Amino acid sequence: MRLRVCHLYPDVLNLYGDRGNLLVFQRRAQWRGIELDVDQIMLGDKGDFNSYDFIFIGGGSDSRRTLVLKNLEKIAPYIVDAVEKGAVLLAVGLGFQLLGRYIMAEDGTVIAGAGVFDAYTEMGSNRAVGDILLEATADLQEELKKAGNKDITTLIGFENHSGRTYLGEQGKPLGRVIKGEGNNSRDGTEGACYKNAFGTFLHGPVLAKNPHFADLLLLKALSPQEEISLDPLDDSLEILAHNTMKKRLI
Amino acid sequence: MKSKKSIVLGERVVNKNSINKGFRFWLAFYAGRFSAFLCRLFRLSGTSLPGVVALKLCPQLLFYLGSAYEKVIAVTGTNGKTTTTNLISYYLQQAGETVVGNGEGANMISGVATALIKDCNLLGTAQSRTVVLEVDEGSVGKILPAVKPDLIVVTNYFRDQLDRYSELDQIITLLRKTIDGLPETELLLNADDPLAVAVGRGRSAVRYYGVKGERDCKEVEENEIREGGFCPDCGELLAYNYYHYGQLGDYRCTKCSFKRPEPDFVALDVDDSDLLHFSLYLQNKNTGEQEPQKGSLDLHSQLRGFYNVYNILAASAAAVIIGIPQQIIEASLPDYSTATGRLEQFIYQGRPCTLALIKNPIGVNEVIKTILPQEGKKAFLIAINDLAGDGKDVSWLWDADFEKLNQSMISKVVCSGRRAAEMAVRLKYAGLVTSKIVIEPGCRESLEVLGLQKVDQYYILASYTSLFNYAKLLRKMGKAVVNDAAQGLPSLS
Ligand SMILES: [Zn+2]
Repeated sequence: MRLRVCHLYPDVLNLYGDRGNLLVFQRRAQWRGIELDVDQIMLGDKGDFNSYDFIFIGGGSDSRRTLVLKNLEKIAPYIVDAVEKGAVLLAVGLGFQLLGRYIMAEDGTVIAGAGVFDAYTEMGSNRAVGDILLEATADLQEELKKAGNKDITTLIGFENHSGRTYLGEQGKPLGRVIKGEGNNSRDGTEGACYKNAFGTFLHGPVLAKNPHFADLLLLKALSPQEEISLDPLDDSLEILAHNTMKKRLI
Repeated sequence: MKSKKSIVLGERVVNKNSINKGFRFWLAFYAGRFSAFLCRLFRLSGTSLPGVVALKLCPQLLFYLGSAYEKVIAVTGTNGKTTTTNLISYYLQQAGETVVGNGEGANMISGVATALIKDCNLLGTAQSRTVVLEVDEGSVGKILPAVKPDLIVVTNYFRDQLDRYSELDQIITLLRKTIDGLPETELLLNADDPLAVAVGRGRSAVRYYGVKGERDCKEVEENEIREGGFCPDCGELLAYNYYHYGQLGDYRCTKCSFKRPEPDFVALDVDDSDLLHFSLYLQNKNTGEQEPQKGSLDLHSQLRGFYNVYNILAASAAAVIIGIPQQIIEASLPDYSTATGRLEQFIYQGRPCTLALIKNPIGVNEVIKTILPQEGKKAFLIAINDLAGDGKDVSWLWDADFEKLNQSMISKVVCSGRRAAEMAVRLKYAGLVTSKIVIEPGCRESLEVLGLQKVDQYYILASYTSLFNYAKLLRKMGKAVVNDAAQGLPSLS
């Protein structure tokens, strides 16, 4: 069995160990006998986004924002289309902000984002930096259970982002902030979900710190429509790491 | 003012007593001295408390203290600051100069203030003639304008502790703005690093050092990360003829005329198979030719690792610039040994044990590349803390090439520190079987587990705040190895 994976802009969005997300995704697939074909889409490249089971875009330095958006606008409609058709997508940090509706710079100029998530970002001098702990939304908890998760209801990561991101009326968060800042330090939300697309500010990498979330993405990538199940893995190390941090943060 | 001039001539106007320092200075100075006395009394070593206290009382303190020195040299950048700073100080001492410096962990403004307060006698007169400072990348805006360096050395810019400095671009912009206010200061920059070169754009008093690319046959390793692949002038992608490591190499802009500047100081014929050896040529940039008659130095060092070529090159170039005779540089380098954590050698449980500081992905990759070719069965201890001195964000562990530890000669990796479990997870995904991974968060306990491994070599890779605890324990539970300078052979102390 093979999955087709797209790593979007690893040449510019490559901060905070985010590429570890793909490593975790790949290993957890391989341990179940599933191989990945990973395409790296660099700045200026085009891709056939309808052919991917999983699309990943990571975090990067804010100074690359304009450069990336200039290139992203050409492929944005294809990404939106793929997500509408059920493609699984994970966007972290700046990658999440870029896939929102728009980003407003400090001087008031507005640049359109890819529009995958009903979210927008207002840049500012504030910066949220530190360990973060979430309680997953009830919907997400339900989905995590289906992916074989027994009793972890939390998500853990390290956030490091500037500006404030707000969800629109259709926007649903990933979870509620228990410790940390989240989307905007104000409304207690973190991240965004739309169909099989997930946006978050959790670095760490988020899939390494949250094996249950990694399995949910893997399950969805294997079968966006019908229900199947994954072979369980021995996650004692991952769970120990998750719980050690959780204890420290509560 | 001292009448004796040594070989290192100070041309700057020295204001030993001429500046009217005023009441606030003296209040701050004596408060600092008194705090230093208390720290000694309570055996608090390595604290910057005296500087913190004195700066509270007199924010301009550094300006007054710094003006008392004939020569001020500052070293900044991400990796290699400590080794470069220490080696410059060492060369100066070998040349008969009196030198004061701070040290790693004391490279912010309070640490610098503490070092200079301690260098003064009770009348407030500096005891040394030169000062060599290691300056934290985020503190250049506070420290450099106050001490007005004659020479600033920039090592490199890698991603490091991004929670503290969030962006490399900001650090570089900060340094550029800071030196705009220091027109007299000379710069010595790493030509092989486009990010370091960006610091000197538009300035005239800039000299460069670089390593000649003979490693170009080495293919670029997939797992290594590259930062700074963009032109500082026009923002376009840079193209490379070869890489040394990280983004260091021979680059040029694909759109404008920006390219690696021709270095004034070139390292040639680098032998990094064991103890480092290379030639340093002083290059005439007008003719583009090497001028052996003008100067070529044959440099032998006890240090290992290709990354140390840059540190030795930077320090030796700085020494040439400030006027230290080349014979002194050549003759004294072989006797220079490393500061704590830079591949320090111990004997533990009767086995050789190497202790190394790790603080960012490039550093880890270079350390691993240096030690893996060594013979025999190995066991590792990796200690990761997440305190302010380490960097609170440990996600960089996923950018480092721990995949290299997945090999049969490594039988065990003990993970310790506050992030022991996360380190273990990293190793699991690097491909190590879980039976090779042990989690033991405690410092002494983890060292005991390591000591049970029947292997030929031990290696301890530790983040900053746990490094000194391991060094201390290894001295107690084992023995430190000092290199016998005359023979170049290791011996037990
Ligand atoms: Zn250019």
